[in-house]
Amino acid sequence: MGTATRAPLVAAAALLALCCLRSAAHADSCTGLTKKGGRFPVCFDLGNRLSVTAGSDGFGGAIAFRQIIHFDDDADLVWKLEHQIGETAHAGGETGLTALLYRGRYLRHTRDGHIVIPLGEPKKVFLPFDIGGLVESGRVTRHLDGTYELGIVKTAALVDLWRSRDFRRRLAIGPLARWDVTVSARPIVLGHHSISPFSAGIANFHMESANGLTVADISVEAGTAWTTDMGWRPDARAEASLERVIIAVNDRPIALMLNAKYASATDEAIASIGARVVLFQARDQRVSLR
Amino acid sequence: MRAVSVALAAIGIGLPATAFADLPMMNRDKPVSCAKDTDGHTWRIQCDHATKVCLYASGDELDSEGGHSKPLERAKDCAFEPIDRPALTAQGYTFTAGRADAPYGWTRDDRGRVFQVNFDLRRRIYFGAAYTPKKILENPLESTRTSLDFGLLVLNVRDGRTMHRIRLVEGGVHLEPFSAELVLAHYDMSHKFVDPLLRITTFFGEAQRHDLTLNLGMWTEVGGLELHRTERGNTQLWKHAVAEVTLDLWQSADLGSFLRLRTGMGLEGQHDEVTGYHSALVASSALELDVTLDDDGFHNLRFEVEHELPRYFVEMGDTGKLAQRMKAKVSYEAIVLAINDQPVSLKLAMGGEKRDDIPGLPNQWAFVMDAGLRFSLWAPPRAHL
Repeated sequence: MGTATRAPLVAAAALLALCCLRSAAHADSCTGLTKKGGRFPVCFDLGNRLSVTAGSDGFGGAIAFRQIIHFDDDADLVWKLEHQIGETAHAGGETGLTALLYRGRYLRHTRDGHIVIPLGEPKKVFLPFDIGGLVESGRVTRHLDGTYELGIVKTAALVDLWRSRDFRRRLAIGPLARWDVTVSARPIVLGHHSISPFSAGIANFHMESANGLTVADISVEAGTAWTTDMGWRPDARAEASLERVIIAVNDRPIALMLNAKYASATDEAIASIGARVVLFQARDQRVSLR
Repeated sequence: MRAVSVALAAIGIGLPATAFADLPMMNRDKPVSCAKDTDGHTWRIQCDHATKVCLYASGDELDSEGGHSKPLERAKDCAFEPIDRPALTAQGYTFTAGRADAPYGWTRDDRGRVFQVNFDLRRRIYFGAAYTPKKILENPLESTRTSLDFGLLVLNVRDGRTMHRIRLVEGGVHLEPFSAELVLAHYDMSHKFVDPLLRITTFFGEAQRHDLTLNLGMWTEVGGLELHRTERGNTQLWKHAVAEVTLDLWQSADLGSFLRLRTGMGLEGQHDEVTGYHSALVASSALELDVTLDDDGFHNLRFEVEHELPRYFVEMGDTGKLAQRMKAKVSYEAIVLAINDQPVSLKLAMGGEKRDDIPGLPNQWAFVMDAGLRFSLWAPPRAHL
């Protein structure tokens, strides 16, 4: 299991991420050449892969894929869809399990953001942001006392202020709703529920280097939640992650991962370090191996 | 060619700077011609040879100063053809400023900017929050009786005369007092039968044929969950699977709206802190109305009356072997605005419930009202009949 501290790990990870991203943004080519003329990729597609992880928080894996939906009749409009399925980390024994069945982030990017007010003659008011949503379902976390926390649903309306046509950058904020419940394992009985009916907010910063070697992500959620045992109470969570590809074996990248997270409900901060090995990955379209 | 340029220059000069919203819109289904004026700007022209009226509009979106900013979005392709305005005028044609064409479900504002004005709320991802007005009136600062509802995927897929309706992870949760309901997966299907099941011919006076069509379908749900918290503890009701037969009493032409009866059986398990865990077979029946009241999908009405009879395999405390649940709910949802063509809707709902299966819940009718907002993603225009 990770190390419990109260240190501002989130800020440290963010600074580290920005340093790496800046240095990596000047890649000239995505195809490397050996002295004998052999070709190998030096850019990677972070969003479409099946990977396994090993680290201080256990062993796990995840499937991720991305879609961009274009429209023939509106070249300025794209839907950017990110899906993560079956993200798990298991340290073995009675503790140390985190799993997520599905997380989807859908952002609608258009050159002209706007609001339409359909009263009388429809009016169009322009606003400089993209919109979208976050959907998460089936998050499971096992606590030290043997109980589980089941995240039934988490959803947020997102406003992306750092608009991008691709997935490389995002600064999204919005109201957040979530519904979690504690579960005892033997017998399986649901315990206390914690609900934020859009009484919390989320801010998400995401940045990837152009060559796909480095990615940083920071999410902060804060607001109030209603619980069946304590009523309304403040609720805050933060998570920061940094991933840097350091080596590739048979063109499959292996990345160093740093992760830090904090939750006010349990009043603990957890940091972890590990490695991600990509088993299958979509080839970056800029790479030419022929 | 010179005549074309002269004609379009005249169009450009005559273009009014304002009041486009009242101007007619080009018909998407009819041909549109394009031509360039002497400044190189593209113009779209559509002539109706029956009325001898030609609409013209800029091929570009206009900025706030009336200048050309960028090509129109979602405008259909047009062929660049010579247009001889003097000749057309001599033939009796009149040229009128208009708005460029837009796809079905979309329109344009006074600057040619396109936006969606028709939404299908039966194809969407949504989440919303609601409040009970009564509590708000009692103490506006206290956020009690809040509720949250969500649907990971709401998808109606029409295949000819069959409508498939899929709902994934749809539900809601209420606060103070706590209760929640969730359905992991729902599928139902309606079919419009062409051949009648029975043809009855009457011979009173002139012979007449009367068709009796049974629009049968199916309705299934798996992974239903209800949670209730009373003074006697928590109750979890797991509705493992329900399968029912439906009879559509009325179907709209697009199969999007319906009035139907359904009846069938389900298997469920209930765990509460008073009687423990009990499994039951449930006979259930319902009358459902789901109707979109306008062509643009802005007003949507749902009504449902449901009756369920759980029969437990083992007696469950004071309830015995047979329990009863009755529910009625009516809801109205109206789109109030759209953000980047994604609708935000107002939902008003009122419901009542009477049941004797939950320990601690009084066996009498209880009513609740909700008023809230929903934010929907996707929601494309409704099918164009």
